Amino acid sequence: MHINWQLRELNLKIVYYGPALSGKTTNLEQIYTRVDATHRSELISLKTHEDRTLFFDFLQLELGKINNLLPKIHLYTVPGQSYYEASRKLVLRGADGVVFVADSAPECADSNLRAWQDMETHLASYNIAMGQIPIVLQCNKQDLYNALSPAQIGYLLHADLLPSLPAIANQGNGVFDTLKTITRNVITQIQHQSAIA
Amino acid sequence: MINPEAASPIDLPSGITLYPSHDEAIDRILNELQERCPAEFILLAEVSGQILSVIGERTTVDLAALGSLVAGDLAASQEIARLTAQYENYQLILREGPKSNTFISEAGAHLVLFVRVSKEIPLGWARMLIHETSRQLAEIIATQPEDLGKLDLGLSEEKLSSLVNDDLDSIWKG
Repeated sequence: MHINWQLRELNLKIVYYGPALSGKTTNLEQIYTRVDATHRSELISLKTHEDRTLFFDFLQLELGKINNLLPKIHLYTVPGQSYYEASRKLVLRGADGVVFVADSAPECADSNLRAWQDMETHLASYNIAMGQIPIVLQCNKQDLYNALSPAQIGYLLHADLLPSLPAIANQGNGVFDTLKTITRNVITQIQHQSAIA
Repeated sequence: MINPEAASPIDLPSGITLYPSHDEAIDRILNELQERCPAEFILLAEVSGQILSVIGERTTVDLAALGSLVAGDLAASQEIARLTAQYENYQLILREGPKSNTFISEAGAHLVLFVRVSKEIPLGWARMLIHETSRQLAEIIATQPEDLGKLDLGLSEEKLSSLVNDDLDSIWKG
């Protein structure tokens, strides 16, 4: 988070994390398509030749003035492939909130768990324990005939208490609700920290 | 500018808070760099890519995108240096272009500086000034203003998260 008192800007960083091909980039593409162009940056994607995320995707949303405060939301994705573990850690640096995009296919339960543990490790390397940072669980690909429910995925990740939302990101379903939920939770957390500072 | 009634500034474990006096000092230092170098364009961002200041010729480049890429470039370079045991503070990345050279410099733990200079400027001269500026910037951020006073950013507003969500609703085309 970065606060600029002169400009009255509140800059937030939200990272979309999750296993390979779970739909992290799709979330940002949907947000890019559906947000008024005057309120967003270009979508930056650092991709491999195979169209897979190499380093990160980035999109900035600029909201209007709220009580003289100008919130800007920076959205990042991490590369999901296991090869890019070092890059994932770098993208998490300075995150104010995380959306964990899980793949609801039953055969992806293990990769979801590995990615979850990987995230836990990287956050710990920045001295952030789970519970100290807002995390929203998005259960993507709910249109699969055998999709695990958000409750099942939350249970498998030992994340039952976190807010979880169903999504079909490639159709835009659940994308906005996820964005709103994580933003609300990040703002609440900042207000809480502000109150005790 | 300072409201004595308001809540105290936040000091979160991550991220930085820029006070008005920081802003003034940053502007002065960057303007000095621009004049002395001289630099065509300067961008200062927080290490996660959030832009703090921009000076010089503005082109049509998307500044938010540039900030994120500059931060990513520095982060990757720092990690490469660590992996190869070549890391030291104030890392500098040089990119030579056809008409201009660009430098990306670590300015302490929190900031990254991007500077574009004409090819005609000697590299050593630019590098020395950018190093000097990076150290000055890091010192400024590390300094708490003497008289913090009490500043209000409206964060105590109870309905702030709802208001932000309403605003998100308004920019969502569906």
